[in-house]
Parts: sequence; C-alpha cells; structure tokens
Amino acid sequence: MTAALALEHVTKRFGGLLAVSDVSIEVAPGQITGLIGPNGAGKTTLFRVISGGLRPSAGRVFFEGREITGWSPHAVCRLGVCATHQIVRPFPDLTVLENVLVAAAFGSGGRLAPRSPRAEAEEVLEFTGLASRGDAPAAALTLAQRKRLEIARALATRPSVLLLDEALAGLTPTESQQAVALIRRIRDRGVTIVMIEHVMRAVMDLSDRVLVLNYGRLIADGPPRAVTSDPQVIEAYLGRALEEA
Amino acid sequence: MRALSARLPWARGAPWAPRASALAALALGILLALVPAVAPRDITLLNLGFFTFLYVAQGLAWNVLGGYAGYVSFGYAAFFGLGAYTTALLWLAGWPPLATYPVAGIVAAAFSLIVGVPTLRLVGPYFSIATIGVGEAMRVLMLNLDRITGGASGLNLPTAVPSKTWFYTTSLLFAAVAFAVAAWVRGSRVGLGLMALRMDLEAAESLGVRTALFKNVAHSLGAFLVGACGGLYATFLQYVHPDTVFSFTESISLVLIALIGGLGTVWGPVLGAVVFYAVQDYLQTSYPTFHLLVYGVLLILILLFEPKGLAGLAERAWRRMRGAPARLAPAGPSGAEPAAPGRGGAG
Repeated sequence: MTAALALEHVTKRFGGLLAVSDVSIEVAPGQITGLIGPNGAGKTTLFRVISGGLRPSAGRVFFEGREITGWSPHAVCRLGVCATHQIVRPFPDLTVLENVLVAAAFGSGGRLAPRSPRAEAEEVLEFTGLASRGDAPAAALTLAQRKRLEIARALATRPSVLLLDEALAGLTPTESQQAVALIRRIRDRGVTIVMIEHVMRAVMDLSDRVLVLNYGRLIADGPPRAVTSDPQVIEAYLGRALEEA
Repeated sequence: MRALSARLPWARGAPWAPRASALAALALGILLALVPAVAPRDITLLNLGFFTFLYVAQGLAWNVLGGYAGYVSFGYAAFFGLGAYTTALLWLAGWPPLATYPVAGIVAAAFSLIVGVPTLRLVGPYFSIATIGVGEAMRVLMLNLDRITGGASGLNLPTAVPSKTWFYTTSLLFAAVAFAVAAWVRGSRVGLGLMALRMDLEAAESLGVRTALFKNVAHSLGAFLVGACGGLYATFLQYVHPDTVFSFTESISLVLIALIGGLGTVWGPVLGAVVFYAVQDYLQTSYPTFHLLVYGVLLILILLFEPKGLAGLAERAWRRMRGAPARLAPAGPSGAEPAAPGRGGAG
C-alpha cells in the first residue's frame, strides 16, 4: 500500500540553524499520527515543508506516491493535503460560512462534485458544530470556535491528509474533550491525520503512532506507550538524570 | 456583515441586493444617456459628464485590485499613458479611434503583467512603493523616447474628432462596462478569493486560493480598463504628452477616488469620482490648488470616521432612514483574540 504521506531525508536549514534534520517518515492512510517534541524542535517547520509553505533544503516529500516537494501551498491543498495554523487565522470580515466557503470553493480540487461548495460548507459547519454561528462574522467567535473554524475550513477542502498544528492549545478541558471527539470523527471519515500536540493526554488517547522530534531530528517513532517510556524522549523533555551529568 | 453573503450570488440562491444595485445602475445609466438628447448644445455639461465618467470607469477599475484585494497601487498612470499613446499612434496610422481602444487596453494589460508578476509578490507598503517607481520610470522613459512619443513636445493628433455627444456617450459606456465588470467580480468566485487574500494572504493560499494568479488577473483587468480610458482621453484631447498621461497626479487621483468613495465597494468609486471631479472642476478655475486641501481633509475624515467611504456613509444613512440599527458591531465578545493574529512560530 502506498503511504499517504512520505518524507525522504527532509532537511530544512535557516542560515546556520538546522530546523529539520534528515527526517524520513512514512504515514499509513487512515491513521492518526501524533508529532511531539519540545518547543523549537522543528515540528511546525516540518508541517510547513509538507504543506508547501517552505521548500526543504534537501530531501523529498511525497503524497500518495506523488512527489510534491516545493509545490505551492495552494497546489498542495488542492491535491489533498491541508494544514491548519497554530495561531488561528480566520478571514475576520467574512462570515463563518463564507470562511468555509473559501476553502470549499478553492481548495477541494474538484473532489466535491456534484455537490456545490455552499452545500459542502453547510455540511461541514454542521459536522463541526458551528452551524448556529454560520452568519456571524469570524471576528466575533470565541477562541474555541475559531479553532473549530480553522478545522472546518481545512475539512471543506476534502483533504486526504489533514495536518493539525496544536488544535487543542488554549482550550479548556471541556472544549478540549469536544475537540478530541471531533478529531476522532474526522478520522472515522477516512482522513489521515498528523497532529502536532502538546496536550499529552490527547496525544495518548488519539494517536495510533507517535513521532518525537528534538533539535530537528526524529528521535523516536512507535506506539504511544512505547514512545513515552523511551529514555531518549524522557531526556529530551526532562533533561538527563543528575548522576550521569 | 450580512450584506457580504448577499454579495456572493453564485453561493446563495437569488439575493435581492446585487439585483437592486444592478437595476439602480441601469436606471441611472439610461437617465444619463438621455442627457445629450435633452441638451445637445450644452458643451460644459457634456464635458463635465465626459470627465466624470472617465474617472468613474478608472476608479472602478483601480478598485478591483486596490479595494477587493487590498493592493494599493500608485502606478496606474503607466496604464493610462500606455493606452493614450497606443491610441495616438494607431490613430495617426489611420485607424478609427473606436477600434484603437481595445488595443490600448490590451497593451496596458500586457504591461500590467510584466510589472505585476514581480511586484505583486511584495505585500503592503512595499508593493505600493514599487508601483510609484514603475509609474515614474515610465514617465521618464516616455519623455526620452522622443522618436515614438514626441518626447517633451508631445504628439499632435488628427483634428477631425467626433462630436461632444459621441465623447459623452462613449465615456458613459466605458463607465457602464467598468461598473459591470467590478460588480461581477465582486459577486463572483474570483471576488471571494480576492477578499480572502486581502484579509490573510497565507491562509487563503493554504486553503487553495491561487493568490498570485488572482492578483494578476485583478491587476490586468484594471489595467485593461484604465488603458482604454487613456485611449479615449487622447482622442478627446487630440494631443498626448508624457507628462500629462503618465503623471503621478493621475495615479493619485484613482487612489483618492476609491478611498473617498469607499475601498472595496462597488458604488464607492462611482460616488468618489463624482465628488472628486466636481470638487476639482468647481475649484480649479478660481483657486488652482485649493482642491488638494479639500481632498486632504476628506481623506482624514474618511480614514478616521468611515473607512468604507461615501458608500459606507450612504449605507449607514439608508439604514437609519429605514429605522434599522446602524450597524452590527463586528467586535467579538470580551477576551476574544485580536482580529489579526501574528505569524506562528516554529513548533
């Protein structure tokens, strides 16, 4: 089976800083993959390399066997890989429905047919629980609703692969639970999900597999339980034990 | 905000707002088209109409990129001038003036692509500054290409010109075409993309909007219309000079018209052009530079109190007359994030 997403020796340098260093990953379709690591580990950079925002300094990116290295974000999106932003970026003067409509009208690359972008947008609002806010300007939403809108917009592009960048950050425990349920339902629709997340409980609950980045390197890869007991991972988060220093 | 959904007819069933707006425009157009029949000898009136419509057309054209997409260009004189010279040269070569206008538009649009492909990668003030450079460079270039442009002495054009009524009607037609284009773009898929990229370029791009393509389409559409206007202007004046048709004042005028009228609105440039030209025409003869002061004051008042310009003001007045609440506050509940978040850092 072709991997939904594959990275081959991806490296990204910013001047002297090695943000992502020789990362190779294959993501199986239909799975939820958690991407964790300390701040500055290169997680968001890796997402941006995949979604086209950044061109890798070296290495190649494949979507369903097709090379997409260096493609523009709009092209990557229309092909079926959509990323949400860590800091939400709604179109503030458009209504919630129109925000989603932009995604459905431009990002779906013909996958909606015969459904109209508007019908799709309405369905997505229903699915994400934003239907009652459809006519509100996006600027009037609460943070939790904006996070939802960010996901709703990505969904309206009918992605095969969804990259979620800290979809839970800043949410209250209740909101967080709702978001976790939403992510699970998205997976049940057959969408492959890769999520950067700091809320460990959510990562443990949701992920089929966890990847750990530290200083741009992939230091662990496996089922959630195995990864969290990996000494290298513990060291990355907590530092070395005293007697070894 | 509700009006915005109504502006997207391809998405919504059959909204009344764009249709009412189109009907109003049609009625106004027909009324104005009757003026020459009523007053065929009133040269002052016909000239006033000619220039006003010419500005209406250009303001509308400028607004497609400047208002909808938020790319404020100070370089449209380059398109106007190229259009004027295209018509001038073809007319001298024996073409009938009317046939030269589409060519003038195409030349301007082609030039807009040459300029737009590199400069539209710039954002905000950087783009605006680049366009000033392009506009001025064109003026100086044309001044020095005296074999083609006549240089500092300009070019005299054929003296056999159509009637004032013809100019009035053609100019009105240009304004009508520009209005139709502007209104169509606003309500179309392209318009939605342009508005999205104005609010957040990166988000629009990541949701599949071909931002570079859309910006260039908007730019060349505007350039085509302004180029055709330049051609019509050259015919009217029977004379072209680089300093007039490539003047920075011409570029600024279009920005002012759209700003005064209402950035990104369909009716804004129409109202803006009327006020702009009326003020200039009324004041210039007795106080040659006083109109600049008026524009300055208007600009400050608009930026302070009504960013949507005269069109926004009109909308507010209309709502108040109908007894509806003035406007829904766009601000979110307290504690909501600011509307324009910063860039995400590395994870």
